[in-house]
Amino acid sequence: MGWKLFFWLVICFPTSIALLATTFYQVLILSDLESDYINPFDASSRINYFVLPEYIVQGALCVLCLFTGHWFMFFLTLPVTCYHIMRYVKREHLIDVTEVFRGLNAERKFRLAKLVMYLILLIVVIFRLTLIGIYYLGIETDDDPASFW
Amino acid sequence: MGTENPGRPGFPARPASSPFAAAPQTATPFSSTGAVAGSDPPPFRPTAMPPPPQAPSPFSSSGPPVRPGVPGFRPAPTGTFNDPSLPPPQPPIANAPPAAGTFQRFPPPPFSSSAQAPLQQRAPFVGQPSIQQSASQPPSFPEPPQPQTPFVQMGPPPQSTSPAPMGSNVPTPTYQPSFPGYARMQQPPPVHSSFPPNQGNYGPPPAAASSPFLPHQGGYAPSPAMAAPLGMQPPGSGPPIGGIQGLTEDFNSLTVQTRPGTMDPLFDAKELPRPLDGDVEPKNLDDMYPMNCHPRYLRLTTSAVPSSQSLASRWHLPLGAVVCPLAEPPEGEELSVVSFAPASVVRCRRCRTYVNPYMTFTEAGRKFRCNVCTLLNDVPSEYYAQLDATGKRVDLDQRPELTKGTVEFVAPAEYMVRPPMPPVYFFLIDVSISAVRSGMIQIVAETIKSCLDELPGFPRTQIGFATFDSTIHFYNMKSSLTQPQMLVVSDLDDVFVPLPDDLLVNLSESRSVVESFLDNLPSMFQDNVNVESAFGPALKAVFMVMSQLGGKLLIFQNTLPSLGVGRLKLRGDDSRVYGTDKEHVLRLPEDPFYKQMAAEFSKFQISTNVYAFSDKYTDIASLGTLAKYTAGQVYYYPAFQSAIHGEKLRHELRRDLTRETAWEAVMRIRCAKGVRFTTYHGNFMLRSTDLLALPAVDCDKAFAMQLSLEETLLTTQTMYFQVALLYTASCGERRIRVHTMAVPVVTDLGEMYRLADTGAVVSLFSRLAIEKTLSQKLEDARSTVQLRIVKALKEYRNLYAVQHRLANRMIYPESLKFLMLYGLALCRSMALRGGFGDVPLDERCAAGHTMMVLPIKRLLKLLYPSLIRLDEYLLKVDLKSIERRLPLTMESLDSRGLYIYDDGFRFILWFGKGASPEIAKNLLGEDFAAELSKAALSEHDNEMSRGLVRVLEKFRNSDRAYYQLCYLVRQGEQPREGFLLLTNLVEDQMGGNNGYSDWMLQISRQVQQ
Repeated sequence: MGWKLFFWLVICFPTSIALLATTFYQVLILSDLESDYINPFDASSRINYFVLPEYIVQGALCVLCLFTGHWFMFFLTLPVTCYHIMRYVKREHLIDVTEVFRGLNAERKFRLAKLVMYLILLIVVIFRLTLIGIYYLGIETDDDPASFW
Repeated sequence: MGTENPGRPGFPARPASSPFAAAPQTATPFSSTGAVAGSDPPPFRPTAMPPPPQAPSPFSSSGPPVRPGVPGFRPAPTGTFNDPSLPPPQPPIANAPPAAGTFQRFPPPPFSSSAQAPLQQRAPFVGQPSIQQSASQPPSFPEPPQPQTPFVQMGPPPQSTSPAPMGSNVPTPTYQPSFPGYARMQQPPPVHSSFPPNQGNYGPPPAAASSPFLPHQGGYAPSPAMAAPLGMQPPGSGPPIGGIQGLTEDFNSLTVQTRPGTMDPLFDAKELPRPLDGDVEPKNLDDMYPMNCHPRYLRLTTSAVPSSQSLASRWHLPLGAVVCPLAEPPEGEELSVVSFAPASVVRCRRCRTYVNPYMTFTEAGRKFRCNVCTLLNDVPSEYYAQLDATGKRVDLDQRPELTKGTVEFVAPAEYMVRPPMPPVYFFLIDVSISAVRSGMIQIVAETIKSCLDELPGFPRTQIGFATFDSTIHFYNMKSSLTQPQMLVVSDLDDVFVPLPDDLLVNLSESRSVVESFLDNLPSMFQDNVNVESAFGPALKAVFMVMSQLGGKLLIFQNTLPSLGVGRLKLRGDDSRVYGTDKEHVLRLPEDPFYKQMAAEFSKFQISTNVYAFSDKYTDIASLGTLAKYTAGQVYYYPAFQSAIHGEKLRHELRRDLTRETAWEAVMRIRCAKGVRFTTYHGNFMLRSTDLLALPAVDCDKAFAMQLSLEETLLTTQTMYFQVALLYTASCGERRIRVHTMAVPVVTDLGEMYRLADTGAVVSLFSRLAIEKTLSQKLEDARSTVQLRIVKALKEYRNLYAVQHRLANRMIYPESLKFLMLYGLALCRSMALRGGFGDVPLDERCAAGHTMMVLPIKRLLKLLYPSLIRLDEYLLKVDLKSIERRLPLTMESLDSRGLYIYDDGFRFILWFGKGASPEIAKNLLGEDFAAELSKAALSEHDNEMSRGLVRVLEKFRNSDRAYYQLCYLVRQGEQPREGFLLLTNLVEDQMGGNNGYSDWMLQISRQVQQ
């Protein structure tokens, strides 16, 4: 049981929050760029700074879910992982400062979609955490933990 | 920016309207706009404007008188004519009746003397496009025609504002633009056999209806040719009532014939339209908006902005503009430089539009209304001037910014982020063994030295040099030294700059050191046997030197970069890649290093010109990236040999160094709300969504952009575009060059086609196609071009399919008659042609980079070069023959002749087999029978040779941007003749490429599907 709590509380929860935050930050920068609050050089270097860490964290989470047998979580994170791998293989994962504006809309749409995915992920994680919380609390009142899992 | 303005959907009155109130009669003149505007009343109607009181006065007058003269014609309802014009009552004019009838069609022509009077009255009208006025009028009048009203209106209203004397009736040329059919009429294509040459435009059945106009022709048309245009108006433009005009043909057509003996269809090759006069700048708006900037600065693909998104989506050609902000004005024409000091530049508070001729002043001169966003601004007190009785500013003639479409403002300090930079030239020269052997270094050093006096910006100009092979060499040229000191950096992994302060020096202070360096440079590396190239590290080091100031970096590169960062490898020699999804990768930079450097360069105001000389693969695709994002240019001299190509390099380098250059520039194009420029094409980097960063820009660069409609419906009748280039002039002054253009908004697709500009369309097409080759196969890029042409013609055909019998005919608008040929030429151009074997990869990439910057005129010449017969001129048989361009087909080449092929980049002299040996002997000297590939053309001591040299000189002088090297080829000399000339005869079928008539047939088939 300790592992379960550890997995959800210490691994999944902070990870999904971090993913959500970086993506949100990237979307924000892209919007700023469009409305000319930031120049393309700064914008792309700021976004590019986060791209690889995000890919690694997201990929690690996906693999971890696979190996720990959390199939639902695995399938939830799989599409984004595949998308990341595809971008990386095509060497399109970094923002190209010379052509930022050409792909601006597409980039933002993809990131918004990712944002939604991460949000769902976070909701699922919170839901699981809640269940676990209820379970632990339930131990005191009820001796049948199996009813939940 | 136009987009910022809050919408004013309902806004009924044009800003300009106020002036009229004062002098009601003035308003009437506008109708004259009728020429353009009048012809299509429907487009303007959307604006609900209260008809001015005088409006009813209609001109249509002509109606009745005319009719009698023309018994045969069905009486046309007067309504037909009236919509466009609202002339003030005039004394009856003798010729009025005939003119009136016509006037609807040809507004401008009518200016007979009678017209004059009204024109003068118009004067009060400031800058305002007349169109709007006409729009306000009810489209058709029930009232009986009044004879007097006359065509006065026909005169282009806008002219009234211009100082030009209106009195002289419009010269014929004026009309030309407005009538699509006009040009054609002069040489009616045989195709139309069914129609009498004169009125060829009327289809047989409809003819009767349209005929009413015919009788009038005599009255106003100076030349018989004019008659033709009558029928040519787009149906849409006609008055609502009459289907009349709809029935006449205002398009051009080609009839598909049948090949004798077989059933194969074909076009008669002789009838196909050919742009033998080169590029023709659009003039259709000259009458309507005489204060527009000259088309050499700004051209739209169609000078009519669609009023709705649905209309725009039916225009399948690119919708956009081609801008050449610094185009060279012809000799003797000077731009007016305006300084507002000590005040700031006058601009609209809200949309930041610069003051321009279309802004209107009101409230006794205290306010002005912005033409773009219609906001009423206060006039700064320093700029205040009273209005005279007609509503014009009293100081109008001293204010070029209020009368001219192109002006230059002196920008005050708020337009600077740092003190204006001096002109900076930095030369990065490859000194590896191949560079030494080719003789490039020698010529470069000589040319730079000879240009030192002419570098712009004396005495502030700064200059610096670096050379590289496997190490990087800098030169300390401090003015206190007598000889330059060479400093060698050999650590390529961690590049540093020795003596950061003395590498870039003021030219006037260190002149003697610089000269002694240039004298010694060729001999310094004479015995260099280094084969490596540390190009990437050298680039980084130079960047460190230049990043303080920015400026222009000229790279002379001869060896594929092989050391350090940015090293490149041979690629492109694998023919199997072609035709696969990997093909386009060859045309992209191989190493992201180049893109990063380009971005850094742009950020620090460094512009890069790349001169590449290698005889082997040198990866122009990667190197060109440096030029692409820094507003630079790529010059490629494959297998450079100083003896052969030296002259070309010398001229082009000289041009590059001495032409007027705008430093640390940014450019933006503004337009009114509802329309937005979305994509930009050319060599620059976008700094924000609509701001082009151009570290250095000059007269030889053009930029293209496409626009899209943001609102479903545009409610204005006129759209304004304003190009503003903010730059530092070489003299150290910060300037803003502003080009303003007004164009009508139309609701009719036919009108868009009528006002289309082939040159701009082709220029955008070629840029789009070249960009496409960077992400897709060549084949796809070519088929996209064809597809868009087909779609456009299909849409055009649908406009007319109902009223006309179009079977077996291919129809196209007069304005786009050369589009198909240019499309073909584009597909066969160096950048898009064939596949692996047809063009070496480097040449293809270099051609692509070149075409991305070419101004329209030069691009069209490159696509459809001129072919001229020379022997008759040289033998003085026919002195006119030199002005006659021939169709680019084998059939134009007579084996007894001598021809010159000129695409603006090179000359090819073609000696026919049967040409008299006399000619060859005179021109080539004693060795005329030798291989021509080795023969050089030099002046010999005889009349004919001197004549030829004069001719070549004349051709070169007509456009000095590039130097045309002369290649000689003899008929039948294969394979040289093949790749030099025959593949470039775009009308002939060659290998897998279509010939012109096959291409037309293909398009015509697809259009009719």
